Amino acid sequence: MSVTARRMLARDWRGGELGILLAALVLSVGVVSGISAFTTRLQSALEQESHRFLAADMVVRSSRGLPAEWLQRAAAQGLTHAETLQFPSMVYAGEDKMYLASVKAVSDSYPLRGELTASDVPFGEVQLAQRGPLPGEVWLDSRLFPLLGVAIGETVGIGEREFVIAAAARTEPDQGTSFYGFGPRVIMHYGDIESTAVVQPGSRVEYRQLYAGAQDAVDTFDRWLEPLLADGQSVVKVGEGQPGIDSALERAEGFLLLSGSLAVVLAGVAVALAARRFSERHHDYVAILKSLGASSQRVNRLYGTSLMILGGVATGLGCVLGWSLQAVFFVLFGDQLPLEPGAAGVRPYAIGATTAMTCLLCFAWPPLRRLGGTSPLRVLRRDMPLESRRAVTDYLLGLGAISLLMWWYSQDLALTMAVLAGLLLTAGLGFCLALLLLRGGRLVGMSAGSIWRLALSGLQRRGAANALQVVIFAMAIMLLLMLLLVRTSLIDEWQTQLPDDVPNHFMVNVVADEVQAIEATLRGKSIKTQPFFPMIRGRIMAVNGTNLPATQDVKENRRQREVNFTWSEQLPPDNLLVSGQWWEPGTQEAVVSLEDEFADRMDISVGDTVTFLVGAEPFDARVSSVRQLDWQSMQPNFYLVFPPALLTEFPATFMTSFHLGRSEKRFLNEFIREFPTVTVVEMDAVIEQIRTIINQVTAAINLVLAVILGAGVLVLVAGVQASVDARMQESAILRALGASRQLILGGLLIEFVTMGLFAGLLAVVGAELSVYILQTRAMDMVYTPAPWIWPTGLAFGALLVGGLGVYCCRRVVLVSPLVVLRDI
Amino acid sequence: MAGGELEILKGISLEIKSGEAAAVVGASGSGKSTLLGLLAGLDCATAGNVIINDVDLGSLDEDGRARFRARNVGFVFQSFQLLPALTALENVMLPLELQGSSDAESLARHYLERVELGDRMGHYPLQLSGGEQQRVALARAFASKPAILFADEPTGNLDTETGQRIIELLFELNREEGTTLVLVTHDLVLAGRCERRLRLDSGRLVAE
Repeated sequence: MSVTARRMLARDWRGGELGILLAALVLSVGVVSGISAFTTRLQSALEQESHRFLAADMVVRSSRGLPAEWLQRAAAQGLTHAETLQFPSMVYAGEDKMYLASVKAVSDSYPLRGELTASDVPFGEVQLAQRGPLPGEVWLDSRLFPLLGVAIGETVGIGEREFVIAAAARTEPDQGTSFYGFGPRVIMHYGDIESTAVVQPGSRVEYRQLYAGAQDAVDTFDRWLEPLLADGQSVVKVGEGQPGIDSALERAEGFLLLSGSLAVVLAGVAVALAARRFSERHHDYVAILKSLGASSQRVNRLYGTSLMILGGVATGLGCVLGWSLQAVFFVLFGDQLPLEPGAAGVRPYAIGATTAMTCLLCFAWPPLRRLGGTSPLRVLRRDMPLESRRAVTDYLLGLGAISLLMWWYSQDLALTMAVLAGLLLTAGLGFCLALLLLRGGRLVGMSAGSIWRLALSGLQRRGAANALQVVIFAMAIMLLLMLLLVRTSLIDEWQTQLPDDVPNHFMVNVVADEVQAIEATLRGKSIKTQPFFPMIRGRIMAVNGTNLPATQDVKENRRQREVNFTWSEQLPPDNLLVSGQWWEPGTQEAVVSLEDEFADRMDISVGDTVTFLVGAEPFDARVSSVRQLDWQSMQPNFYLVFPPALLTEFPATFMTSFHLGRSEKRFLNEFIREFPTVTVVEMDAVIEQIRTIINQVTAAINLVLAVILGAGVLVLVAGVQASVDARMQESAILRALGASRQLILGGLLIEFVTMGLFAGLLAVVGAELSVYILQTRAMDMVYTPAPWIWPTGLAFGALLVGGLGVYCCRRVVLVSPLVVLRDI
Repeated sequence: MAGGELEILKGISLEIKSGEAAAVVGASGSGKSTLLGLLAGLDCATAGNVIINDVDLGSLDEDGRARFRARNVGFVFQSFQLLPALTALENVMLPLELQGSSDAESLARHYLERVELGDRMGHYPLQLSGGEQQRVALARAFASKPAILFADEPTGNLDTETGQRIIELLFELNREEGTTLVLVTHDLVLAGRCERRLRLDSGRLVAE
């Protein structure tokens, strides 16, 4: 019997329907495992990225020295390590120039993760540095050069020691994004600290020990270390990422998961269709086998074996396809990727294999299992009706399996529900509408020419089968439209978020008297600035009369802390009120508006009274509103906004942001010489990095979209093929009766195009619903209507279904009717 | 037998002896194929019994009848009913494999030689003519050494000359193997070659 199973598979492979079944399975395994491997690798890259921002995999920090034995212990466990010390200090040049800088001393192996960059001249071309400064050398922030009037090769003094300036310090992986209040950077060697004699007990310093190595080694070390930590010592394991990159990647991941889930649905449908046709074509086979004495168990074993062989082959090929898919992406874009993709492990392929097995069990097996029940009497009477009533349970089983798979795969209930809702709407609405419209077809076409009469009568005659087919086409098209919609809105959003002239430099510490002069200078250089925002450094002390804890522990959300205040008459642009009301211009009330995540963390809501401290002066304000900010906008953003009347008496500095092209950067030298007290923070490298990542993620998304499109077309092919037999037979009879090629092909074209149009229409409706739920519930995006989806959906349906239909049936006019009739 | 409201065969009682050759004749729609289906255990009667070699087919379930067919029954059909996926040789081997025969291949080869298809064993049904396909079907039917062979219009899809050769072969093999033969046909000449003729008219057995 195993010979028969192998033979049967081989023969059916040549027959075509097995090809579709195999292709559907291979594609489902491939897409699911490929996307899954891709996301896993991207995720691990992201994790590394977050380590990059720590310059290590794990950091211990403290305001006092840390035990050297910890480093030895780490080295013994195979971890690499480094030390840093950060402290504020005056830097001297010549007789009279000095400036308060933020000094960072680093050991030889720093950084363990990420890169240190420097340049030969201030604001010059950025270069990767293999290591930090050598003993006796320092690197200075670009803006310190004009401020101190020094050049590379000259010397500066820190405490009691003279250092040679070796380079301009540009970026450190762990410099963080909170640049307020910090002076310009000076980097020196860790071994030189003592000779400067500036670090005394009680100085405002931060010691750090950095560790890196294999994940389990780091975890083991962490478990060993945590119980030893004294007060004021803390472990940091995840760095402060870039909000722009994080959110872009998070959504991209959402999109990829969605694609994977849709691939699962599409594959399931394709497998179900192919298996159904496969089983229909096998009823005669089985009848013969049974007349020769094969029992139903034997038949089931035969088809079960075939299915298992098929599943095994498909899983193998699918894993190869999945691996290739993600490999192609990383090969194409890997060298431009600032992220180092990690390993994917076997999980993606296990997911792929499970998908294949589920598809086989829930979609392919039910119709095949029923083959065992075929009556052997069919050998005498071929016209015996096939039992298909149980198809409804098949559909329900399939739907349940699909939903669970989708849920398991995406781990996202909202996403699963969104897709399901769209599918059900398309299917339910579609079935009624399709039946209704197809039944009405005859009236319209009564007086039309013979092509139309033929087409419409075809539609009519196979009403129920056609309605089912329309629904399947509609579901496939719906999923594709859905993906297209989400992709387009994602990419649009990213593009509007980072236009070419997005501000890439921040300017802080601008005193009120300088604002006009700076504006004039920038205007003179045609540099467009954002408005200047006043900024006051203050502390948040108490809520509703109760003091907040005065701890230094950064893990504590509710604590007294330093925050930047600003004032404004109007709600700042890009801000969105989520509760409360904005104040009337000119108000004298003591009120404040809070950023919503900040309000959440501090557990403050509208109506609470909060006590603030600016300088030595406490004051109260009632929370009148909570705002949502767009942290990705690269605009100055503030947690706390007050009405001007409340803050104008306090001394404020101003800040703004502006765009500076790469070629204009030298301008910063003269600018800083002219306005020495102003701090300019460069964000251009970070923005460039975000842009690169987004471009790559966009490429990944387009690649995945193309693959899913392939899967969708496969479903359409399987759907068309499902009805080819009946149509071929009819067409062959018509051909035998002398119908012309045009009549037959024209009739088929009209029939398929009509079905495609209906399918397109239903698909658009379903896609709109799904995308609405997805964007508002699952992906944290703003729903934007896309009218272009209507003509696109209709055209897509008509062209694809029409084209494929005629293509699949073309054989009927190419070979003699007798051959066609004999083959069916 | 009643299919819904329709009674197809009425009050049929007949006995066919071992080794006998019986022809069932009658017009289209007279119930010949239904009777054949019942006799061969392909279908179940709603009333009455079919007993072959002391086994009451009505007391067996579908799988029991399948096992019974595998051991006792052979078929030759009007439309040949060969599996297109299998070669001539494999088609003949199929019922032998179903019986669990250990020398299926040599037996199959022997019977294909016997029907003069020794040189076409590796061919697929589509590569064979109608007459050749029916000869494969004959080889398949006799290879499993059935106690009883049912032939349903075995020449219905063949031209007269080819049909004639198939009939000669069928009766020759039947004689050699000592098989009981039940032949359904509307060809009276063919029916005349059988020892017994059973005429069906509107589901009734009218004359012998």
